[in-house]
Amino acid sequence: MMENLQASFNKGPSVDSSKPIKMKTKDVTVHYGQKQALNGITLNIPENQVTALIGPSGCGKSTYLRCLNRMNDTIDSAKVAGEILLDGEDVYDPDIDVVELRARVGMVFQKPNPFPKSIYDNVAYGPKIHGLAHSKQELDEVVHTSLRRAGLYKEVHDRLDEPGTGLSGGQQQRLCIARAIAVSPEVILMDEPCSALDPIATATVEELIDELRENYTIVIVTHSMQQAARVSQLTAMFHLGDLAEVGPTEKMFSNPGDKRTQDYITGRFG
Amino acid sequence: MSTFTIIIVVLAIGLVGAFFGYRQGKVLTASENGVRPHSRPVYHASYVASLAVIPALLLLAVWLIASPIFIASDVRASFPEGVLAQSQLTEDLAYGIVESLGTGLQVLPDDERETITETTPVKDISALLRERGVPIASASADWMVPLALQLNGMQFWSRLAMTVAVIALSVFGAFWGYRQIAMRLRSRNKVEGIIKGALIVASSIAILTTVGIVFSMLFETIDFFSRISPVDFFFGTVWEPRFSNVGSSGNAGSFGFIPLLAGTLYIGAVAMLIAVPIGLFAAIYMAEYASRRTRSVVKPLLEVLAGIPTIVYGFFALVTVGPFLRDLSAQINGLVTGDYASFIQAQSVLTAGLVMAIMLIPFVSSLSDDIITSVPGSLRDGSLGLGATRSETIKRVILPAALPGIVSALLLTASRAIGETMIVVLAAGVAANLTIDPLEPMTTITVKIVAQLTGDLEFNSPQTLVAFALGMTLFVITLALNVYALYIVRKYKEQYE
Repeated sequence: MMENLQASFNKGPSVDSSKPIKMKTKDVTVHYGQKQALNGITLNIPENQVTALIGPSGCGKSTYLRCLNRMNDTIDSAKVAGEILLDGEDVYDPDIDVVELRARVGMVFQKPNPFPKSIYDNVAYGPKIHGLAHSKQELDEVVHTSLRRAGLYKEVHDRLDEPGTGLSGGQQQRLCIARAIAVSPEVILMDEPCSALDPIATATVEELIDELRENYTIVIVTHSMQQAARVSQLTAMFHLGDLAEVGPTEKMFSNPGDKRTQDYITGRFG
Repeated sequence: MSTFTIIIVVLAIGLVGAFFGYRQGKVLTASENGVRPHSRPVYHASYVASLAVIPALLLLAVWLIASPIFIASDVRASFPEGVLAQSQLTEDLAYGIVESLGTGLQVLPDDERETITETTPVKDISALLRERGVPIASASADWMVPLALQLNGMQFWSRLAMTVAVIALSVFGAFWGYRQIAMRLRSRNKVEGIIKGALIVASSIAILTTVGIVFSMLFETIDFFSRISPVDFFFGTVWEPRFSNVGSSGNAGSFGFIPLLAGTLYIGAVAMLIAVPIGLFAAIYMAEYASRRTRSVVKPLLEVLAGIPTIVYGFFALVTVGPFLRDLSAQINGLVTGDYASFIQAQSVLTAGLVMAIMLIPFVSSLSDDIITSVPGSLRDGSLGLGATRSETIKRVILPAALPGIVSALLLTASRAIGETMIVVLAAGVAANLTIDPLEPMTTITVKIVAQLTGDLEFNSPQTLVAFALGMTLFVITLALNVYALYIVRKYKEQYE
């Protein structure tokens, strides 16, 4: 065990055990009507790290992700139980303000979903509704910084007033990331952010994710083993609503402890 | 053979053709050497049937339309000089009598008909026919008898020729189609072409009907404008056609269109002003807030409102809303000034607008609900995921995205408001006032169209013809609204897609 960890440290990005835990989940179960989608997930998400959730389709990884910022609230039939803590605060506490929670835990979706507004307004949307900018200059500053951080500024700086929907798929997804960054979240949840993108756009977004790790805690759902290996430090393997295995990414891919993980990453199912 | 029988026979030939085509197709499929025919037997069958039925029925239709025209022109050519010299109207009348003589003769039993020759006086025939219950106009003349006989003869031969030609064409078509059936015959593609043709015909009928309606109004409208100057019509502020004396030309009354247009727009505007916010809010509630169960109850309930005939809304206005507003205004006036006189009349723009709004609410809400629900859920998630509240999401993301659809829905609703008649008659009356006071009666274009057409005026007087001019104007207004709606939708779609 120690050797494995040691080995992965030497290879590059890895779990830094000194990082504090940002989000803690304990025995999280989700029901959609009668059907149980998650059977008690206990998982800790470290701060300023990228945590990848992998597993075959329908295993509950997106469901789990959507629990973290209570996006499951929008689905009438979804019932969530268990404990989810953000910096020690229960996010399912009746007293908590969901709107504020979602500002702290932002989300990027599978399909790029820019609003039918200009590029500028897309990024300015969050800051405006949360009152983060007090003047036009401040707002400009926030928008430009966010676009820069999302690696999109150079490509679009001269056409900020054009519709965001007119960008290419990869640019749209980076716009959505910029939009999420603009409200200064602490955690960014990404639900298969590259599944609708071509390999070049995917590479750009992956690089971006790696850079964002410095300032944000990131949880990413992905279908691509390579992607999980490239961008994440911690990997959690889901299978049929269970958490099959969780561990440092390096170890998961070199020496999986669970039979299901082994089968999955070697392509025997999924 | 009657037309109906001919159609049945043609269809039967088609059916027989289809049967043989199917059998031949089966034979091809079963044939050895493992090569599959291009089309399945059912396509061969449809192809043969189409060739048997479609050209034959087309010929039938053309013949039925064309033959009376040819026969009529032939018969009219042999009218006496005296009749031809008179007006078109007299000639039409004479031809009508000849036609009814001809039809009457066919009713007679064979033995009686044989007694009639070209020289039989028309009086005798009239007497005979009257016994059979066929009245003949008194303007009949002896010269019409030979023409009636000629007409009957031509009709007989025409029908015979038609029967033979149509059935022959049908048989030929079936046979020709059958002969074509082969391994490589692409009847599957040909049937596709026939289906496409049928669809095109169906849509052309819809379009041509519209064009036909426009033209039927157009000629009467032009007739009207040849009597009343368009300037007086479009810019006149007094509507008093009833006071003019029919026949005394020079004073045909005033046909000022402005009071009607103002009434139409005013009542429509009041209705829209009430219906749009309520309908829109109801739609937003149903689409964004209501649980699935609430929605499944509320939406049908709202749509029931849309199914109520507008005359019922009219009753409601006349017996409930109108008197209620009048009494309410009397009470308010009494409390304020001590004088219990109502300042809202029972029939007023306000009453009509209010009741029309009730009619329009389900229309607005149902259309908008569909449009709002069709905004992609990913936009909703995106906004909520950024920490926006539901109402922020609706205001800043959903509604802007749904705007083109909603605008076009509202313009459609506006065309309905403008075209509404029954509610206005009962709720706002028929007085063509020009006023800006919503508490007074006004009336609309559609109400006046009804009023002008149901009067007992001569059909070719300007008092009646004005209805067509009004109808045409209304048509142009609603058409413009619809075109504008399409334009808006297209413009925004480009921007947001």
